[in-house]
Amino acid sequence: MYKKLNNLGFVIGAFFTIVSLILFANIFLQGRTDALSIYAASAFFIFGLLMMLKN
Amino acid sequence: MILKPFKVTQIKYIVPVTLPILSTIAMNLQTADYLIIIVYFLFVIGVGFLIKRKIKSSNDFLSSSRNIPLWITSLAFISANLGAQEVIGMVASGAKYGIMTVHFYWVGAIFAMVFLGVFMMPFYYGSKARSVPEYLSLRFDEKTRGLNAISFAVMTVFSSGISLYALAKMLEIILKWDFDVSIWIAAGIVMIYTFLGGLTSAVYNEVLQFFLIVLGLSPLVAVALHDAGGWDNIKTQLPPNMTHAWKYMGNADANPMGLHFMSLIFGLGFVMSFGYWCTDFLVVQRAMIARNMGDAQRTPIIAAIPKMLMPIIVVFPGVIAIALMQPALQSKGYTIPIEPDGQINYTMTLPSLIAHYYPTGLLGVGITALMASFMSGMAGNVTAFNAVFTYDIYQAYFVKKKSDKHYLVFGKFVTIAGILISIVTAYIAKGFNNINDFLQLVFGFVNGPLFATFLLGMFWKRTTGHGAFWGLVCGTLAAAATHGLTVAEGKGGWIVPLFEIKSGMGQAFIVAATSWVVNFFTTIFVSLATKPKPDADLRGLVYSLTEKPKYTTDKWYMRIVPLALILLVITIILNIIFF
Repeated sequence: MYKKLNNLGFVIGAFFTIVSLILFANIFLQGRTDALSIYAASAFFIFGLLMMLKN
Repeated sequence: MILKPFKVTQIKYIVPVTLPILSTIAMNLQTADYLIIIVYFLFVIGVGFLIKRKIKSSNDFLSSSRNIPLWITSLAFISANLGAQEVIGMVASGAKYGIMTVHFYWVGAIFAMVFLGVFMMPFYYGSKARSVPEYLSLRFDEKTRGLNAISFAVMTVFSSGISLYALAKMLEIILKWDFDVSIWIAAGIVMIYTFLGGLTSAVYNEVLQFFLIVLGLSPLVAVALHDAGGWDNIKTQLPPNMTHAWKYMGNADANPMGLHFMSLIFGLGFVMSFGYWCTDFLVVQRAMIARNMGDAQRTPIIAAIPKMLMPIIVVFPGVIAIALMQPALQSKGYTIPIEPDGQINYTMTLPSLIAHYYPTGLLGVGITALMASFMSGMAGNVTAFNAVFTYDIYQAYFVKKKSDKHYLVFGKFVTIAGILISIVTAYIAKGFNNINDFLQLVFGFVNGPLFATFLLGMFWKRTTGHGAFWGLVCGTLAAAATHGLTVAEGKGGWIVPLFEIKSGMGQAFIVAATSWVVNFFTTIFVSLATKPKPDADLRGLVYSLTEKPKYTTDKWYMRIVPLALILLVITIILNIIFF
């Protein structure tokens, strides 16, 4: 895990994954239905995961 | 390119006179927004702690021991320039001048970046210089190095302070955060990660900040463009000179910038652009830390790809914003804040778009992206400052032969000192409104002539140290004199207001062009009258005496020249599309 944390691509992926999870939590807890939040959170999640998996 | 936040002048025919006065923006952050900001702070500090273990020598701390992968150096290269003045300034410029703002990218950046990669990096990297002033020392002499190092160190540390001031001011206006608290928190975080991990830490965080700025602002562009009815509708709402980049540049009175295309091409496209991208150590440093010569050359060329697309993120939102204020789109309920005197506060264009379109959560992303751009600009300046101050001032003139550990400790001390001076500068800027304008002016005087020195130094072996030094001095004096003899938008003319220029931007281009020409010819004349260095001392430093790098083993699309040509063709096509 420490080796992974030294990989910048992995760190960037982890950051966007966490941000997307915060956005999803906010969407569900506040019952939001606006498309912008959902699309942005999904895009961040996919980007974050891809960066983590590829590095 | 550093651009100060714009003060406003009203654009004729575009702004409806019935707009409400709105000088502030209301943003209320919720828990999710604060969480995102905190996560960002934790990550940038965490990167500092991770890099700290790798810092063993002064080279690790100040120049990353030339061990950074290409994709990181390329994104850091562009991100070092993606400070807040750039992001907020370019959105403001997009609203004020329309699509012509793309000239700062498609004329004022790409060509110079390609030139740097193809022609200049072999000398910067091949000479094994650790900094741009050190290259000047190898190529010319110590006095030329000293002049460049001192002016660069002063400029970077003041730029860092202005960036800090602008961040705190912005947070005070849009979030009602305390000015002092914002200054100390932002400076403290930048200090922690630059102190721990030096240049590598700053570069790694610049890449994170790049993704945050691009991904954080992309949804804004999409939703605002959709709200404005797409690009075709924007074109029908705005005067044609706001949506064409070149069509109205044949006459300076016909376009919002008040510029003729010749002054744009020579002033911005040649003098200012090449002067910044090819000689400013802040950006060149990112290419100098690549793993090998090929990667060092590719760094600015690969960086030119996102740079080319950056107008989508930082110019289009401004154009969209001004379109949304037209009568046909006023039902959308968006306005750029208006000052009590009735003028539009263009500087607030981007924050007002974020406040208008971003819901809770995404608002945190948008604010974090803004903070990232400020902090990125500050960290870039501080790391360039500590390298130049340690290598080119302290080690070159004061303490020459100490252990490596001594310079590592001193580099860390300079990092702290740089941040503290930035904080002092931020408070000075707060107390004296005109200091920003004054500093930008002085920076322009120093930067304007610089490219002539490098051009002659790298491509004409007859250029001498005396020629370079006096060329720089006379070029800087010529810049000051030109500013003192011309007036634009009420500025300049402090000697005798002999000539009036329509726009401040036009004046800046003329000042830069004059200083470049004076430097160019002074350097030639003085060089011809003084003794040059022998050829043996110039190998690896001058074009005609350096073996050209060969990359026949690379795949064709990774070779320097084909890559550069493809980029130039795409740039020309983009200019034609938005002609």
